[in-house]
Amino acid sequence: MKMIDVKELSFKYQKKGKLVLDKLNFSCEKGTVNVLIGLNGSGKTTLIKTIAGLLENYQGEVFIDGKNLKGLSIKERAKKMAYVSQHSNAVDDFPVLDYLLFGTVNKMNFYQSPKEEDKKRVLDYAKQFGITHLLDKKLGEISGGERQIVSICGAIVQDTDLVVLDEPTSALDIKNQHAVLAIIKKIAREQGKTFILSSHNPNHALYLSSNVFLLRHGKILAQGQAEDIINIEALKTVYGEDICYSVELPYKEISFKD
Amino acid sequence: MLNQKKNWMTGVFFTLVSLTFVVVFILALIVGRYDISIGNFFKMLFSQNGYEMERSIVVNLRLPRTIIAALTGLALSVSGLLYQETFQNKLVSPDLLGVSSGAGVGAALAIVLGVSSVFVSFFAFGFGVLTVLATMFVAKAFQNKSSMVLTLSGIIVGGCMGAVLSFVKYLADAETTLASITFWLMGSFEHSVMDDVYVLLPIVTICSIVILAISYRVNIVALGREEAQTRGINYRAYRTLIIIVATLLTASSVAFAGTISWIGLVVPHIVRLMLGRDTKKTIPMCMLFGATFMVIADILSRVFTAAEIPLSAVTGFFGTIIFVVLLFVRRDTIREND
Repeated sequence: MKMIDVKELSFKYQKKGKLVLDKLNFSCEKGTVNVLIGLNGSGKTTLIKTIAGLLENYQGEVFIDGKNLKGLSIKERAKKMAYVSQHSNAVDDFPVLDYLLFGTVNKMNFYQSPKEEDKKRVLDYAKQFGITHLLDKKLGEISGGERQIVSICGAIVQDTDLVVLDEPTSALDIKNQHAVLAIIKKIAREQGKTFILSSHNPNHALYLSSNVFLLRHGKILAQGQAEDIINIEALKTVYGEDICYSVELPYKEISFKD
Repeated sequence: MLNQKKNWMTGVFFTLVSLTFVVVFILALIVGRYDISIGNFFKMLFSQNGYEMERSIVVNLRLPRTIIAALTGLALSVSGLLYQETFQNKLVSPDLLGVSSGAGVGAALAIVLGVSSVFVSFFAFGFGVLTVLATMFVAKAFQNKSSMVLTLSGIIVGGCMGAVLSFVKYLADAETTLASITFWLMGSFEHSVMDDVYVLLPIVTICSIVILAISYRVNIVALGREEAQTRGINYRAYRTLIIIVATLLTASSVAFAGTISWIGLVVPHIVRLMLGRDTKKTIPMCMLFGATFMVIADILSRVFTAAEIPLSAVTGFFGTIIFVVLLFVRRDTIREND
C-alpha cells in the first residue's frame, strides 16, 4: 500500500523562474523510512514542503494515503501527516509541555482546548522520548538537539500515519544527530509509521536502513534501498569525483579524500 | 506539581484582578469634582427616594463614562495582545494596521465639517475600518501573503493617514476646530453618555465572545504559518478573523474615547509576566486587567486637577513607568532575537 504517491510533480517559486522540481515520479510504501539525499539546492526542502502541503502552486499530483493532496482540507491533512520544520519558529517562552500539547489540536473543534486525557497521552510520549525532565522548561531554555527531539515528539503527538521531516539533523552536533536518528528508527520500528525526511548526510540513510531518493537539480537520479543505492558510483553523480568510503565502521561511512 | 502551582497562581491572579476591578469601578462612581461620600453612595444605591443630585451625577455622568472606560480598556488591551501574538512581535500596538490614524482622520474631518458629536464617532469608526481595509488591499497588491508585507503596508497606509491628518489640521480653524481635533486626539471620556454604551457594548461583547471561543487557537496561530497549518489550523483564515476582531475593537474604542496610547502595548506585557504565554489564560486576563487599568486611568485623569487631564497623558505617563520597571525586572531574559 502506498502512503505517498507522486506523479509528474513540478514546481517553481516564480512564474518565470527555473524548475526546482522537474516532473518527479515516485512512491513510498506504508511503514517505510524514506530519505531524500542531495546537495544544497537539489530540491529536497521544496519536495518535503510540497508533500507537507505547504507549497500550493505545484503541477502534477501528490496522493497521500490514496487521497489527492489538493482535495484534502488543512484539518484532514493534519490528521494524515505531521511535519517537522528545519527550525521551529515557535517563540522561546512557550513551555515544552504546552508546545507538545499543540499537537493534539488536529482532533479538536475550534472552541476546544486539550483535556486531561490529552495531557496523559503527551506525558506517555514524553516518557518514550526521554524528555520528561524538559516538560516544565521553556523552549528557549533547552539545547538545539533537545529542541529538535521535542519538535519530533510534537509531530508524533499528532498521531498520524505519516511524518514529514525537513532536515531534522541540520545544525546539530553528531551526538544529537545520533539521538534524533535513533528516535526516528525506534518510532518507525515500534509504531509502524511512515517517515520521509531530507538529509545532507548519506550515512543517515544507511543508519536508518531506509529507502533512498538521490536528488539532483530537481530530478531523482536513483532510488532504492540504502545499502543498494548508496555506492560510490551513484554518489559521484551527486557529490563529485572525490567521494569515498571509510571501512573502519560497522556500517559504511561516507567521507571525502583530502 | 509545577502545573498545579501554576493553576493555583492563575486562580489567585484572576480573583485579585476581579476584586480590584469591582473596587475601582465603585470608586470611579464616587470620585470626582462633586464629592459623594461612600456612605451616601451606598444609601443612594439601596434607597428609592432622596439623594437626587447624587443619583443624577452617578447615573447620567459617571456610570456611562466608567462603563465606556472599562470597555475601551478591555478592547484596546485585548487587541494589542492579539496583534502581538499574530504578528509574533511583542512591540506591536493595536495601531499596527493604521486603525487609530484612520480613525483620527475620520474624527478630524467630522469636526472640520461641523457635524454633531455622534457622527464624529461614526466617522472615526468608519475611517478606522476603511484604513485597515486599505492596508489589506495594499498588501494584496504586492501579491505576497506574508505577515511582513502586511505590517509594511500598515506602516505605509498609517503614514499616509498621518499626512492626511496634518493636512486636515492645517485646514482647520486655529481658534475653534483645531483645538477640538487636538483634544479629541488626546482621548477623553468626559462626554461619554449612555447612548455610547448602547453602541459600544454589543460590539465589544460580540468580539469578546468570538475571541474567547478561539482563545486556545491563538496560541497555534502565534507559531507562524508552517507550524499552524501542519497542525490543522487554517492560518490565513484565523489571522484574518483575528485582524477583523482586533480592528473592530480598536476602531470602536477610538471612536468613543479618542486615541489612547500605551495601554494596548503595556497591558499584554504585564499579563504575560503574570500568567505566561498561554492565550487561553492571557486573553481573558487582558480583558479584565485592561478594563481595570483604564478605569484607574480615568479616575486619575479627573482627581488631580479641576480640569480633566487628557487620557493619553495619564496612560502614557503611567504606561512608561510600568514599562521601564518591567524591562528592568526582565532585563536578563531579553535577547538579541526577541
